Parts: sequence; structure tokens; C-alpha cells
Amino acid sequence: MAEEEKVIVNNKGLVRAEFNFWVGRYMDKFYDGLEQKKIVGNKCPKCGDVFCPPRSVCGKCNENLSLDQNWVDLPDSGTLQNFTITHFKVTDRRTRKVKDPQLIAMVQIDGSNTAIVNRLLNMPPDEIKIGMRVKVDWSEKTTGAPSDINGFVKV
Amino acid sequence: MEKVGIVGFNQVKMYSDANYGRYEMIFEAVRGALDKSGLKKKDITTVISCTNDYYDGRTISNLFTVEVGGGYLADESKCEMDGAHAVLYGLMRILSGNHKLAVIWSGSMPSCYPYHSTRLYETDPTWERPLGYVNDITAGGFQMRAYMEKFGVSKEEIAKVAVKNRKNAAKNPLALAEAQNANITVEDVLNSEIYSDPVTELMVAQPCDSIAAILLAPERQALKITDNPVWITGVGYSQEAYYLGERDLSISKSMEIAGKTAFTTAGIKDPKNEIDVAELFEAYAHEELILAEALGLADKGKAANLNSEINGDLAINPSGGAIGGNPPCATGLIRIIEAAKQLRGEANGYQVKGAKKAIASGQIGMCAQNNILFTLEGSD
Ligand SMILES: [Zn+2]
Repeated sequence: MAEEEKVIVNNKGLVRAEFNFWVGRYMDKFYDGLEQKKIVGNKCPKCGDVFCPPRSVCGKCNENLSLDQNWVDLPDSGTLQNFTITHFKVTDRRTRKVKDPQLIAMVQIDGSNTAIVNRLLNMPPDEIKIGMRVKVDWSEKTTGAPSDINGFVKV
Repeated sequence: MEKVGIVGFNQVKMYSDANYGRYEMIFEAVRGALDKSGLKKKDITTVISCTNDYYDGRTISNLFTVEVGGGYLADESKCEMDGAHAVLYGLMRILSGNHKLAVIWSGSMPSCYPYHSTRLYETDPTWERPLGYVNDITAGGFQMRAYMEKFGVSKEEIAKVAVKNRKNAAKNPLALAEAQNANITVEDVLNSEIYSDPVTELMVAQPCDSIAAILLAPERQALKITDNPVWITGVGYSQEAYYLGERDLSISKSMEIAGKTAFTTAGIKDPKNEIDVAELFEAYAHEELILAEALGLADKGKAANLNSEINGDLAINPSGGAIGGNPPCATGLIRIIEAAKQLRGEANGYQVKGAKKAIASGQIGMCAQNNILFTLEGSD
């Protein structure tokens, strides 16, 4: 509708009920690793798949990956498995265009069987190729949080 | 499986910003379905709705739809997935032997909330959500690229699906006006705004406002209500891994399993030749190809070669599909309604000649994580 909307009731800010998720014991180890600029995953004792980030259960095998074993130290390098370039900010209240399109990648960390989703940095879009080698660009001051990884850069 | 019939249905026209409220829209859909079938509130024995608390902006959101959805002092419950899953819930209530008429309704009004932002709430709050790189749009970009890379399918071939569905939507009076593009070309689709490369705006099934309702009854009851029931002959559904990084996005394993289950129940041995019309929930143009391949309607990577026009070898989404309008939670239910219309010969303007057997699918989650397939047959 072209005419300007008239706001009659605005529910914003009446209630605050924000979640305070605990990352859980497995992701705790993962984030502890990030703080030391290290990537860890864990291995299903049954099928041998290596999960990065780690999981408490392998869905395929319905098997628990016990917390005190199965850990695997992984390098901070990997292979670009997939990518997309988005012109929209996905966290915004409204779908809004961004100034510089974000390059978002699925990267399979070497030694793992899964891919993680993060940004691709300093890369002209026409140079991106599936299968190319990339590595983590670490944040200068790590805090054991998702933001410790700035993104991935070409090796 | 015991015979359960679709004995009525109704759908509100899809709008990008409907000029009436949720309550009115739900009532129009449900009461309209009853009126068209000559039924009354007292005939309803169970009501199943499908909405999403996030999309409704309140918890246990079926509490506020009791009166308008026909659920007042009735056996009433809700399914928080796709409307097609609610039809499965309703089917199970009928198969329990305790019910004579199930009302199933679903839908949403995304003109009231930021749809793509709410999809971010599907992601893991302790890992992916704080980064904000995965929502339905970026996931669709990954899925399309995975499909193209794996099978060497071109953007043009995928854009053709959007062209077909938008042209079909132009023949469907209930489709979203913005998706009724009678003169659209492959170039228009490719040159439309990039959403998440390689996905462009016109390849997306745009969220819109609508509510749809369907009525189910056991065989004996169904034949009393109508001379022309549509029979549910089979159903299958399956769920894939949660994290995108654990899935092969170029195929749909869950739809493959859903299809096999439904076809086995329905006694369909050669889906490609036995099925006359398919209404598939494609959230993006490329998904129609991936889903058709998972169902065995084409070889892997070859669905673009299938003539799926209204009078082609196997009509897919003659109504315009989800690209013709995608009201969150209603889209899969609308696929079932559209397939039923085809089997009753009521798809005026986009009728597939002599349609006897149809399939209809619903989905939920990033990159169609969960798929459900119904097989339907018309009355002789
Ligand atoms: Zn395993």
C-alpha cells in the first residue's frame, strides 16, 4: 500500500524476555579452543565421522560422543565447499540491502566431515572457486566466542 | 490404508499486504470451506491448525484462533510445521476411527513481521545465529549453487522454472498478483535483483498473506458429503540433519524417502508415468528440480529437461506453485488443495486434461530440511 502506515499500537519494548542460552559442555570446549586460536572437533566412535563444531550425538548412528574422549585437534585450514553472495543484511528487523555484499562460505575444515558457515574475506567474487584452499582469519584478541573467527581467507 | 477423502477446501486470495486482519481471514477460509460443502459447525469433530508462534507474535498461538477457526468447544490441536503436516495430523485423527469431519487450516500474514529475519531463529542460537550468516535466503543460495555445481545445470535452466510457474500463476485467480507474470522471460528472472547469488528475486517464492482450509472425512462420511471426494492414497515424510554443513544440498534425501513411502502405500510403481500432475512446494525455482528428481520424476540433474508445462509430459505446479505465492505455513496445504482441484476438474484456466492421480508436497526448514508427500486420486 502506497499510503503511509499509521501505527495504532506499538508492542515494541513492552516485554523483555531474552534467552540466556548456555552453549553446553561440547561447544564450551570448542569456544575454549577458539580462545587459543585452535579448532577442535569430535569423532563418532561408530562411523568415524568428525564433527566440527563438535556434537554430543551422531544423528546417523544415534550414538553418544562421550565428553571425555573422541576429541580431535584440527588445523585452521580447509576447503571451500560452497559459497553465496548476499546483498541483504539477514539480522536486521527488516530485509535491508547492505553497502558491500557479504561473501558467505561453507568451509570443510581439514580432517572433518562437516562444513562450517562463515564469511570469506579479502576476495574478489570472480576469484572464488569451489575447492579452493582457505584458512581461518583470527581476531586479534580472542575471547572464546563466535567472533574469534573473522572469516576465511585464501591460503 | 483406509480411505480418507478430501471433501471440501477453500483458500483466501494471496496478497503481499492484505487489507484485512488475521481473524477475518481465518474465518473466511474455514467457514467458506464448510459453506461450499454444505456443512455446519456442528458437523466438525476435530480442528487442526498450522501456524508458527514466531510468525503469530504470541505463544501457543492457536489459543487466539479458536472461534474463527471453528474450534470452539471442539477437539482442537495445532501443528507447528507446514500446512501439509497439519493435513497428516488431521488424517491420523480420522484414521483413529473417532472422527467424522476434520477441519485443517493454516497460514500467516508476513505483511506484519520481518519474515526473513524470523527465519534466522531457526538457526543454532549458540553458534550460527550470533554470526547471522544463515537464514532462508543465504541457505537457498548455497542449495542452488550445490545443485548447479554437482550436475552442471545452468542458471538459465533454473530460471525457466520461475518463468513457467509465474506464467502459470497468471492463470490462477488466487495467486499473488506480483507473481502473475504472463509475459516474463528467462532474462527478466536472471536480471532481477540478486538475493543471495546465484538466487535472484524472481526465483524466490515470496512470502505473502493468506489462509487455506481443507476438510477430511472417512470414506462412508465422505460419500455422504460429496459425489466427488478426492482420496488420500498414501503419505510419506522424512527429516534430514539440522546443520547445513552435514547435508548434501544438491539432492533431497528426505523427499526421496517421503516419496518411496507414499508411493509404496499408494501402490504406485512408476511415478513418472502413473502421475498426471504434481504440486510441489518449491521455496526457490531450483528446489522444484531437486524435488522432482528425488521423487524419480527425472534422473538426477536432468529435471530441467522434463516438459512440466500444463499440457506437457508431467505437469508440475500448474497453479504456479509456491512461486505463485508462499503464505508461510499454508503453502503445502495449498499444494494439496490445488492437486485436489485438478482431480475434481475444477482448475479453471490451468486444468491438466484427464488428471486421475496427483502428488502434492509440503516442506519446512532450511533448504527443505523436512519434506512430506501425499498421493491423491480422484473419484471415478
Ligand atoms: Zn556416527
